[in-house]
Amino acid sequence: MVTPMDTSLLEVKGVSKTFDGVVRALDDVSIAIRQNEIVGVVGENGAGKSTLMKILVGVYPPDKGELYYRGRKVPFPKDPREAAKRGISIVYQEKGVILHLKVYQFLFLGHEDKYVEFSRLQIDKMKEHAREILEELHVKCDAEDFMYELPLSTQKMVEIARAILSVRLECGDAKVTPIIILDEPTAPLTVERRRELFSYILDMKKNASFIFVSHIIPEVMEFTDRVHVLRDGKLVADHDLSKEKITEEDLFRAIVGRGSSEYLYKPGVKRVVSEKVVLTVKNLTKNGCYYDISFDLHKGECMGIFGPAGSGKSEIMQTIAGLISFEGGSLIVRGQKVKADEPLHFRLGRGIGYFSGEIGKELFLNWPIVKNISIVNIEKILLRMLPVISFNAEKNMAEKIMKRLRIRAPSVKTDCYSLSGGSKQKVSVGKWLERSPDILLLEDPTIGIDVGAREDIYEAILEMKKSGISTILVSDDPKEYSILCDKIVFIKDGRIQKVLSPEEFRKVMAA
Amino acid sequence: MKILGRNKLITPAMIQTLKTYPYPLILVLIAFVVMFSGLYPGRFLTPLNFSTTLTQFARLTLFALGPTIVLLIGSLDLSYVGIWMLGGVLVWLLMPILGMFSILVYPLFGLATGFLIGVLQVKAKIPSFILTLSLLFTFAGLASWLTGGVPRPVREYEFITEPLIPRIPTAFLWSIPIIIAAVFIMKRTRIGTYLYAIGSSEEGAGLAGINVAKYKILAYTLSGLFTGIGLIILFSHFGCAAPVDLKLGNVVEPLAAMVLGGTALAGGSGGPERTALGALTLAVIIRGLYLMILLPEVVDFLSGLLIVVAIVIGARGLKGVTVT
Repeated sequence: MVTPMDTSLLEVKGVSKTFDGVVRALDDVSIAIRQNEIVGVVGENGAGKSTLMKILVGVYPPDKGELYYRGRKVPFPKDPREAAKRGISIVYQEKGVILHLKVYQFLFLGHEDKYVEFSRLQIDKMKEHAREILEELHVKCDAEDFMYELPLSTQKMVEIARAILSVRLECGDAKVTPIIILDEPTAPLTVERRRELFSYILDMKKNASFIFVSHIIPEVMEFTDRVHVLRDGKLVADHDLSKEKITEEDLFRAIVGRGSSEYLYKPGVKRVVSEKVVLTVKNLTKNGCYYDISFDLHKGECMGIFGPAGSGKSEIMQTIAGLISFEGGSLIVRGQKVKADEPLHFRLGRGIGYFSGEIGKELFLNWPIVKNISIVNIEKILLRMLPVISFNAEKNMAEKIMKRLRIRAPSVKTDCYSLSGGSKQKVSVGKWLERSPDILLLEDPTIGIDVGAREDIYEAILEMKKSGISTILVSDDPKEYSILCDKIVFIKDGRIQKVLSPEEFRKVMAA
Repeated sequence: MKILGRNKLITPAMIQTLKTYPYPLILVLIAFVVMFSGLYPGRFLTPLNFSTTLTQFARLTLFALGPTIVLLIGSLDLSYVGIWMLGGVLVWLLMPILGMFSILVYPLFGLATGFLIGVLQVKAKIPSFILTLSLLFTFAGLASWLTGGVPRPVREYEFITEPLIPRIPTAFLWSIPIIIAAVFIMKRTRIGTYLYAIGSSEEGAGLAGINVAKYKILAYTLSGLFTGIGLIILFSHFGCAAPVDLKLGNVVEPLAAMVLGGTALAGGSGGPERTALGALTLAVIIRGLYLMILLPEVVDFLSGLLIVVAIVIGARGLKGVTVT
């Protein structure tokens, strides 16, 4: 059966989904996928991208909506196997690979029943088929390699091959065009490997259609044919990149849904940047992540590391935080050289605090607010005579922070996992506010939270700056840099391109 | 009408309260007490059984308190029975040299064992389960070898558990300050807070400036020390001798008390006070079964089965707590 180019292979119409009767995850969303094209689905965290994809592969049932496959109305799939029958399969962001299987075992995982003869698995036949498929899809590995022996990008390719294969096996037809959902496929990859994976996906276009889920704008611009933008569960834009002229800035505006004048930088905030250098980074290199990074951080200064996602900005930050090691160059904190493999806990002793909005690594989710704030401030709440924690002092400290940052929670005893994203982030900021380290690293400090909470956090950070704390900021939101930073290091493909003042930065962003 | 009435009687808020710790476990405890009292009131609700239950409780708690600290950092310490057996042998061997001080071998030996496990586990990164299990096996073998397979009593220490108050076993009285000490260390000191942090998220603990390796070793050391202190009492209580043959029940029951109490095997939530509650529930279960006058093998079978049932019911209230 041949489907003409202009009719849709798969169409989703008017899908809505509500969680717990309150949170509206998707609201009347329609998208279409044609034969042999790459469709981008972009949006911020929590915009509904993942929910939509999970509905397509049968993880959640939708509340409302229709699904058309080759122009015929079909019910929504109830599980991934049924989704594969409708031609849909997904490659997850992470944890999709089982490292201790051989490539052929992984390819046929869950489809072994097709290779059973007299209740015995036909291993030779599986290997033979696996080799044929790897060759057809140009995956550069052998069927008997272990998955963990392959580089990350090749693992992704095998995953894509597996997704295509599962559609073929479920449909019982090798000619069918599968629709493969790629959920942020490049997230774990280094800069070079991303390129490799993309040229592979472009090559695969003749065999399959792709839904490419991402929040990395340049990637989407470069590799997709059409792009759908989701914001707060609604479809807000739908561009055909081959016909329309769209800039990265247009797409950015559609994703975040506002211009860049909502919270203006107040020049009234006095900058107390002294000459004293607290952190020096010299020719810092980690192969595959960043190269030759050098900068100085002064006391009371806020420095931004700006660049597209995947440029290495997060890795630089995590190196300074002590989460990952570096390979070359030197890191000097307050005049002392830091060893590349120094254990993580030394960093706080050196005066470095780290806070990530998205990952929440430093927050203990099963703990109440009060404990999360006191964990880095235990010295302050011990009794005078004995090394015993005073619950009263602990509670007072937490209540002070809660009031100051306007954290909305029933009490300081509320467990953190039950808090909203904004309150969680405020707790993280709050404990550092109380601790006041010399250097505070902020990674996406306001990601996925509402405007009000954002402003509270900005205010707290600006206040910390005033008291002489140096900060380094990494964010997805350019506006944040112009609000908080005194200097912005622009980074691309792991290398520093230029260093801008906030005024220059705003000009560049406006242009 | 009936349904309406029932709805009013049990409000959602009440259900929510009943689902949170420690209520499910307390319900399990009450259920067992009521059940056994109903089955044989003449034997279960007696002063004798009351004091025997308290003895069982003391035995389970004193074994389980130390390992609870290790469980809280997300590891396992099964060496307690090994310390009991080999420590007893060392007390007997050193008696002629150290005199009355030789009982102090227990806490020192526990401390040393804990420290050794900690260093081995942290530096060599071996799973704690297999490490402590092997050590238990080694100690048991050594104890049996050194004594020639016969328990060697040291009668001089009987005074430790001489009866003080009628019907209240002295071992139980001794266990109270030890429980309080363990709870105090875990809840009100820096060490305790840091150990909870490590169990909750190791990376987060590192980011909060906690020396994870050091505090992990400290957790094992504390575990050995608590076990050693508790064993001074248990040694005296069990006729001033330690067994020289390894019984699986001695290993499993304290472990069951910890898990029943609600300390998550993944670490981070729970604590010594929960272990005490778990030990009390388990003591009631074990006593109830013994009173049935069954074959010992049947008692083992039934107590294993009942522990599983009790853990499933007891764990229901913990779902919200163990989110990581």
